[in-house]
Amino acid sequence: MTQKTSDKGRRNFLKSFGVTVGAAGVVSSFSLLGAAKAAAQEPEEMVNLLTADGQLVQVDKNQLRPTVNEPLNELQRRGREGIAGKSFVMVIDLSKCRNARKCMAACQNHHQLRPEQHHINVLQMQDSDHTAPYFMPKPCQHCDNPPCTKVCPVDATFKRQDGIVLIDNERCIGCRFCIAACPYSARIFQWTEPKDAEKYKDLTYNIEANVPQKKGTVSKCLFSADRLREDKLPSCVSACPNGVYYFGDRNEDAVTNGTSGETVRFSKLIEDNAGYTLMEELGTKPRVYYLPPKNRAFEFNGDLLNEENLH
Amino acid sequence: MKNLSTILATLVLVFAFMNSASAEDWKVSATAKKKLNPYELSKKNISSGKKVYQTNCKSCHGDPTKANMLPLVPAPTDLGSQNFLVQSDGEIYHKIKTGKGAMPTFENTLNDESKWMVIAYLRSFDKNKKKAVVAKAVVNPEVIDVKIELNVDADNKKLRAQLTGLKKDGKRVGLEGIEMSFLVKRTFGQLDISGEEAYTNANGELLIQFPTDLPGDREGQVDLLVKLTDEDNYGPVEEKRVLSIAVPTNPKNPLDERAMWGTRANAPIWIIASYVLGVIGIWSVIFLVLFQVFQLSKMRVKS
Repeated sequence: MTQKTSDKGRRNFLKSFGVTVGAAGVVSSFSLLGAAKAAAQEPEEMVNLLTADGQLVQVDKNQLRPTVNEPLNELQRRGREGIAGKSFVMVIDLSKCRNARKCMAACQNHHQLRPEQHHINVLQMQDSDHTAPYFMPKPCQHCDNPPCTKVCPVDATFKRQDGIVLIDNERCIGCRFCIAACPYSARIFQWTEPKDAEKYKDLTYNIEANVPQKKGTVSKCLFSADRLREDKLPSCVSACPNGVYYFGDRNEDAVTNGTSGETVRFSKLIEDNAGYTLMEELGTKPRVYYLPPKNRAFEFNGDLLNEENLH
Repeated sequence: MKNLSTILATLVLVFAFMNSASAEDWKVSATAKKKLNPYELSKKNISSGKKVYQTNCKSCHGDPTKANMLPLVPAPTDLGSQNFLVQSDGEIYHKIKTGKGAMPTFENTLNDESKWMVIAYLRSFDKNKKKAVVAKAVVNPEVIDVKIELNVDADNKKLRAQLTGLKKDGKRVGLEGIEMSFLVKRTFGQLDISGEEAYTNANGELLIQFPTDLPGDREGQVDLLVKLTDEDNYGPVEEKRVLSIAVPTNPKNPLDERAMWGTRANAPIWIIASYVLGVIGIWSVIFLVLFQVFQLSKMRVKS
């Protein structure tokens, strides 16, 4: 424990040292750019600063600015708030899913998950004995009435203004009430040291990607909230080779297909294809819509004989 | 050495011949041949067939009639050539569906509609059947400085675009029969609102009804981009505009409401009230009991 604390202290020191040196570099380059200006005005007082490449330079004291706040706090703050004016929805076209599992691989890569850990999982479904089997990708449903956030005793999991349900691994105490409350089994628990824990230990925690993952806490699908901030589609949506996923903003009534890039009206897509949500009888109001697996252009090639595969 | 190269050349020739022989040997059953394209040769079908062709066929077959296919052995057929198009719709359909040798099968990758659209597109190069194309081919004069002029009727939500070009004699003329795309910017892509038959008329004009229920921002503004769908003829020509004709939308913030799923700060008043009342109630009972016990002990002292 003591070793860990001292290690952290050194890391913090290195971090702040890096920030200071970096800031010194930035300030010095600014001062070089504004050299003409500085020459024109008589500087009040000069201070000595070390640049990033090891040069000692003098800078006008008036041009010094305080360093930025700790980036972690900023990430946490905006991660809690969400993106104003947006209301994200996903549409999954089951008639196109042929179990390529590229969505799962892209997701696990983005969120530093092991192959057996799923923020999104492609399930083999057969609704009853004589119905046709199909593949169903299942991410978190980002419910508008989420049962999981109701049971969290420490406000670690929450819903943002853009509709995304996130979890703060810095706050999570690992009680797993949310896992028990979720009817879609969308959450996972990090029982062991996460994948590449050693490699990413110095990375600043990003609440919008749940990276680096933390042992003893819960992790879940985030609709790639960090990518949405840059107007990029979620990892799973862009990785799909078969045009299964549509993603967009319900306020704009438009969703974009991750494979073809085609943008269509959300309401029309749902109306024309009889879109539905999973387990709507529970009153969870999911944000993930499904289009039924009709007119499939391929044969189901799953392994239904193995009962473990069936859901 | 010379012998070796001769042998090699002979072998290559033999293989080439065998391959070409086998290509001609592509048997299609009589019933499959009789199938007819259920989709008409309308401009819309041809244009959607062109899109399918460009993503699925062009990489090997090149552009129809241009003979710019990949140099493979056997060479991929020029699908716009009249030799190829003498085949019936059913024959081409069967070949797309099954594939042979280097030609992959598209049975599982393209749905029926897409396959027939591609056939419709290829038929538009067929000299014998070209007449069947609903709209007649238009020959526009050779022009330079092509531009789009956009007029907006905000009350009726109508957009009128005029496509004109400068003729050699300096006269500006409208270009007929050109497909245009009207794209509205959304977060992750461009929403096409052009509708099905977005072709300019004889004056180069095109009238588009803007969707009456499309949400814009708080002021009802949207970013509109008008451009030529096919850049082959006149290159990229486009016109950008911010319009205030969409439905003004005030995004609802779900966090403004108090709800059960909210964090502590957003908990419903009744939960906070009942919790506080419950705590006060329980503690008052405990204090009451303690108080009564205290009173009892006091009474004993008096007696």
